[in-house]
Amino acid sequence: METISYIVLVPMVYLAAAIFIIGTTVRLIKIFKAPKHPTTLQIFPAKKPAWLWALHDTFLFPTVRRHKPVLWVFLIVFHICLLLLIIGHLELFGEFEVLQIIPHEIFLGKGLVGLLTAISLLYFLFRRFRSPVRDLSVPEDYYLLILLFLIVLFGSQMDWARNWYYYETMSVEDYRTYLGGLITFEPYLPESVTESGHAFMLVLHVFLANLFLIFFPFSQVMHSFLSLPMNKLRRG
Amino acid sequence: MDAKTRDDLLGLFQSKLNEAMHFYLETCTRCGVCTEACHVHASMGQVRYIAAYRHEIIRRLYKKHFKARGKVWPSVGESKELTEMALDELYEAAYSCTGCRRCMMYCPFGIDTQMLMSIAKLLLIGANAEPETLTMLADMSIEKGKSIDIFKEGFINGLKRLEDEVVAKWRQEAGEAVIPVDVEGADLLYVALAGAHSIIPAAAIFNAAGEKWTLSFFEAVNFGAFVGDPTRTKLILDRIVNEALRLKVKEVCICECGTAFRVMKQLSGKHPFTVSSITDVHARYLKEGRIRLDKTKFNVPITYHDPCQIARNGGVIDAPRYILKQLTDDFRELAPEPAYNWCCGGGGGLVALGEDTLDFRMKSSRVKVDQVRGTGATILTTACENCHTQLSNLRDHYKMEVDVTFLSSMVADALVPA
Repeated sequence: METISYIVLVPMVYLAAAIFIIGTTVRLIKIFKAPKHPTTLQIFPAKKPAWLWALHDTFLFPTVRRHKPVLWVFLIVFHICLLLLIIGHLELFGEFEVLQIIPHEIFLGKGLVGLLTAISLLYFLFRRFRSPVRDLSVPEDYYLLILLFLIVLFGSQMDWARNWYYYETMSVEDYRTYLGGLITFEPYLPESVTESGHAFMLVLHVFLANLFLIFFPFSQVMHSFLSLPMNKLRRG
Repeated sequence: MDAKTRDDLLGLFQSKLNEAMHFYLETCTRCGVCTEACHVHASMGQVRYIAAYRHEIIRRLYKKHFKARGKVWPSVGESKELTEMALDELYEAAYSCTGCRRCMMYCPFGIDTQMLMSIAKLLLIGANAEPETLTMLADMSIEKGKSIDIFKEGFINGLKRLEDEVVAKWRQEAGEAVIPVDVEGADLLYVALAGAHSIIPAAAIFNAAGEKWTLSFFEAVNFGAFVGDPTRTKLILDRIVNEALRLKVKEVCICECGTAFRVMKQLSGKHPFTVSSITDVHARYLKEGRIRLDKTKFNVPITYHDPCQIARNGGVIDAPRYILKQLTDDFRELAPEPAYNWCCGGGGGLVALGEDTLDFRMKSSRVKVDQVRGTGATILTTACENCHTQLSNLRDHYKMEVDVTFLSSMVADALVPA
């Protein structure tokens, strides 16, 4: 068990991070180096400044709000929570003063953020079981949603246990020791990480997150990077 | 399909993979927001007409042949080999899409279905499986460009026969050319369609406005664009560009043809002349007081169908409304926002394919009929030849009680001395 934990928590993380960073970079360079479309692809009436409207379209999803309002609520909740979770994870690497402009406990939202993310993911998943979205979906869409749901579920378990059940054997400091070791290439697994009652959750969380990072550059999740330039094309 | 054909077709596919196309192929999350966007799906209800479904037909081939995962893990994206059957699917997707780009108003990323369908159309040409009529018409246009001298005399004689009808709409001063052609140094080159209806009203209005104009020898329509052939599209376009350069005109004015306008305005690059739609030019004459219209000429409710390539995709939205305000006090919008107007169902070459597509065009445009009926208007006017034909077919098929007209004809009929 210890060997499996070690493989998942150390070498596999390096492998996943490398594939994620190199894969995403190489793919983006390849896409952006392709010849530009020679003519405009915009839609009218045009609104100026186009770049500001492109930002608006990218981050506020106005077309979804107009045509599928319920989906929009879940999409906005999901993406805001995702941002908060990314901030939370960054703070597990070390202290960032800029992230503490509004002082907060590490992992914002007292467990609610993870809960809302999980609920949104279930909504995204279940709407794919119904026509017409079912007819449009391919296996990738289900795999990614199930994967994300499990990642969030196991990750949030640790947060929920600390916040709701006062199970504090694994502290922020313990995570920082583990993750700090990883980024300085001196991996070290504190006993509190490998031996606590949480260890199983942590290993599963990291294992699934590794899979997600490995798949990321080759999947539709690349929309995280491509949505803005695409919306710019539409806005002209 | 033999290996050589497949490789050739994949070469054509590769030639379309520019930055924008990569965006469109990589990004779709199949969220289904575009479900209600397509008039074909809204009218017929079949899943295969949802924009994202059409995209996926192209995307599956892309995943198989241009992404590693198509080899490593093909089932994850249901990637698909390019076969004869795939060509059938491509035909069905491409020639049931009118390229109206209404789905771009729905997609959170702005995926351009018309662009993705252009891959399908190019592959069909490569496999000699495209609608032959369109290629034939495109080749005829190109041929005319090569041997203009043979056509010239017949064309000028034909114009002579139209002169009386032009003068009937707007009396000329003695000695002035009624339909000037080949005038070097003219301000405006008017590119019409091969048909009197596209020349007579336009000529009357140019003459009424005192425009220094000349008529092009070529018809505006670009069948190369309909069939999705970039080489033919450019050859057809170049005939007009070269004529405009030779005559040193300041402005090229495209007649009521959506495709011709968009191709010339947006897809032809930079030129020393400006490109306008005839609707733009008429609105300008009215604003400048060069022509005046009799508002009592049409005393009935009027609605206007925005041609997709001219309005949503070409940006000419205010000009027709300005003209209509001078024509009537009872103008009724088809859609609360013009950008959301339903396509007439005739674009993308479907009308040019005539009877072959008639049944599909009628079934796939039921929502358009409902929209027109909802206005209560008795005149349905538009500014595109294809739309006009399709809307007339719809009127006959669904027994709509509307007159389908060209906006420019209404302007010509209502001309009064300024």
